[in-house]
Amino acid sequence: MVLHKFGEKLYSGLVTTMTSHLKEISNSIEAAQGGLFLDELNRKWAEHNKALQMIRDILMYMDRTFIPNTHKTPVHELGLNLWRDVVIHFHAIQSRLQAILLENVRRERSGEVIDRGLMRSITKMLMDLGPSVYQDDFEKHFLEVSADFYRLESQEFIESCDCGEYLKKAERRLNEEIERVSHYLDTRSEVKITNVVETEMIESHMHRLVQMENSGLINMIVDEKFEDLGRMYCLFRQVSNGLVLIRDVMTSFIRDTGKQLITDPERLKDPVDFVQHLLDLKDKYDKIITSAFRNDKTFQNALNSSFEYFINLNSRSPEFISLFVDDKLRKGLRGVTEEDVELVLDKVMMLFRYLQEKDVFEKYYKQHLAKRLLSGKSVSDDAERSLIVKLKTECGYQFTSKLEGMFTDMKTSQDTMQGFHASHGSDIGDGPMLSVQVLTTGSWPTQPITTCNLPAEILGICEKFRNYYLGTHTGRRLSWQTNMGTADLKATFGKGQKHELNVSTYQMCVLMLFNDADRLSYKEIEQVTEIPTSDLKRCLQSLACVKGKNVLRKEPMSKDIADTDTFLFNDKYTSKFFKVKIGTVAAQRESEPENQETRQRVEEDRKPQIEAAIVRIMKARRVLDHNNIVAEVTKQLQSRFLPNPVVIKKRIESLIEREFLERDKGDRKLYRYLA
Amino acid sequence: MERIDNLFYSFANRSSGMIDPEGIETLCSDMEVDHTDVRILMLAWKMKAEKQGYFTLEEWRRGLKALRVDTVSKLRKALPELEKEVRRPSNFVDFYSYSFCYCLTEEKQKSIDIESICQLLDLVLGSQFRAQVDYFIEYLKIQSDYKVINLDQWMGFFRFCNEISFPDLSNYDPDLAWPLVLDNFVEWMQAKQS
Repeated sequence: MVLHKFGEKLYSGLVTTMTSHLKEISNSIEAAQGGLFLDELNRKWAEHNKALQMIRDILMYMDRTFIPNTHKTPVHELGLNLWRDVVIHFHAIQSRLQAILLENVRRERSGEVIDRGLMRSITKMLMDLGPSVYQDDFEKHFLEVSADFYRLESQEFIESCDCGEYLKKAERRLNEEIERVSHYLDTRSEVKITNVVETEMIESHMHRLVQMENSGLINMIVDEKFEDLGRMYCLFRQVSNGLVLIRDVMTSFIRDTGKQLITDPERLKDPVDFVQHLLDLKDKYDKIITSAFRNDKTFQNALNSSFEYFINLNSRSPEFISLFVDDKLRKGLRGVTEEDVELVLDKVMMLFRYLQEKDVFEKYYKQHLAKRLLSGKSVSDDAERSLIVKLKTECGYQFTSKLEGMFTDMKTSQDTMQGFHASHGSDIGDGPMLSVQVLTTGSWPTQPITTCNLPAEILGICEKFRNYYLGTHTGRRLSWQTNMGTADLKATFGKGQKHELNVSTYQMCVLMLFNDADRLSYKEIEQVTEIPTSDLKRCLQSLACVKGKNVLRKEPMSKDIADTDTFLFNDKYTSKFFKVKIGTVAAQRESEPENQETRQRVEEDRKPQIEAAIVRIMKARRVLDHNNIVAEVTKQLQSRFLPNPVVIKKRIESLIEREFLERDKGDRKLYRYLA
Repeated sequence: MERIDNLFYSFANRSSGMIDPEGIETLCSDMEVDHTDVRILMLAWKMKAEKQGYFTLEEWRRGLKALRVDTVSKLRKALPELEKEVRRPSNFVDFYSYSFCYCLTEEKQKSIDIESICQLLDLVLGSQFRAQVDYFIEYLKIQSDYKVINLDQWMGFFRFCNEISFPDLSNYDPDLAWPLVLDNFVEWMQAKQS
């Protein structure tokens, strides 16, 4: 027919025949009752497909020549279009099909089992008829109905469930939807339907969920519910601002609890315990972030900034951290493996990083280190050095050079003592053994030099050492720091029992007096030894008033030392131990006035550092305005401390006065460097 | 010239060859002017006198020549004109800074004690910025951070008087690198006002 120019007739005949045939079909489908409707539709669709194939084969010639020339729809496509228009869009079928599909989904959601194979065939049909058919006739309504469904369901859940339970349910629903898509929907629907679930179940309720009483985010954190937290993270990550919300709530919680911890006067009584608490707190959050928040960088940063915030709220944090290290290096690390030592030190370094006043830490660290080294109390030389190396990597050479100097002094002193004993060993004989640590002024914390009169026996050997030392090191000056030393004394008591007393140099001076006398008044002791009053009182108190260590007796007996007291050798003294260590009553944690003093010293030390920074900057820039100087100085110094802008201004003014800088004649904000 | 020199020698101390504080007092009483009068400081400025309380021959010549006078009475009549000259803004800054340096009597001295500063402020700026000077003096006397004032702070206060609306201080911007003493002064003023 095509060859005889009847192509047009053939084509229009095809259209009419197929249309009327499909009308019959649609009537028969419509007539199908209830559940059979989908089956009927599916069956007819399969038949139609088969028929269409055959028609296309028969009319192949027309399909190839006539249709492309006249720009008509090809046979197969025509068949599909007619099916769409006549069957699917037949009003009685269209709405019924839609309703049945949605009803099936609803039934499945509520737990019933449906024929997934049939569902897949039908949705496949809709997709074959073109993406717009699938979208308009099914997906659009599917999403709307789902949104309604989840809106209702989430409302119900949030009233009845706690946060953890709710999240579990939401997660299950989400997985169900994904599964549904994989079974019988277009894969492109997955994003759309999960979006609906996330919006309805998470986003609309996220504030309420996070703040839910007794089960919200804070409770999960407190109770360390990693699984729930992880679930919350995963679900919230999908909605906009979800993670921001979690992070903000967590941050303000850390800040609040941290602030409470750091300002709690009870906690501050024991610095070691206090720092341990900080470390535990950090551990806890680290664990939460690694195991529940997938090591999210933004969460780590939030954690770090929170710690930095509250640790610096207390100006004594640097001191306490150093005390913690001191405690660990004195006794805490005994019997601990090398790796564990490193672990503790690394954690301490992490806290150190949070400190703004690193110079204050350095000051205390130096003091504590000095005490450890001089009293030989440090557990491990390796651990000491390891921490110095860490500080060096963190803050650079100048931060640790003095600390390293202290170690060098200790080593040199050992060598010096060996040399001294080698050359003088013979003529010392039975006399007292002397051990001297020669400390470089400047490397060690400055000590007010308080001298006392040493017993003659000691004085002799001290002189020998002085001569020996100055003989090899000419031009140096030695001064004795008697307030820092210790002595071991052999003492024999009333019934002939012998003890070795480990005492301070001051205590030794006092006890030696009792070699020649049984009874001495306070005034006599003070006169002979010339030990500074407060030190002398402390030392007598520890010799006479501490039970079990009272090698002296005091008259009258009382807790405190008065100028009128008299002291006697206590020959009834007994102790189970051969070696008795008599400590001085000394405060570990700095007292308030001492703290003030250290503060002041720190402030003084900062002045030249700030001035040096200003001069460095101005030397490079020649001219700079005030705010920029302040900013640059702060930047240069922040690895050590946070300089106060007012102090910087003061230093600038001092430099102007000393003619390192001048103000610009015109623009008063500007400073000029005077070379 | 000779008359100027003769006039100099009539006040000068024979042994030091300078007009000393005593000579200045005689000069002042001859001119019937109080020796604490600001115009005497202006005269010193005109002479570019270096040492407080002393005029050298060179300084004397420089001042009197510039004023075109050679007798005490002419000098006295020239004083009002001199004051006018000093009050001209271009000269006044110079005079203001000179008055500070003039009070530095010791070698290497760079600052002046609060007590003297208060008197000097009153003398030099009192007529022009009465309110500012009174408040500032009150502040200086009760504060304890500063025992002395240096040239930078001294010049800063003059700039403050000229630029800052007083007493509301509305255009005071602490970011503009004012000397700290003025920041503190402004803070004190604001606390007082509120």
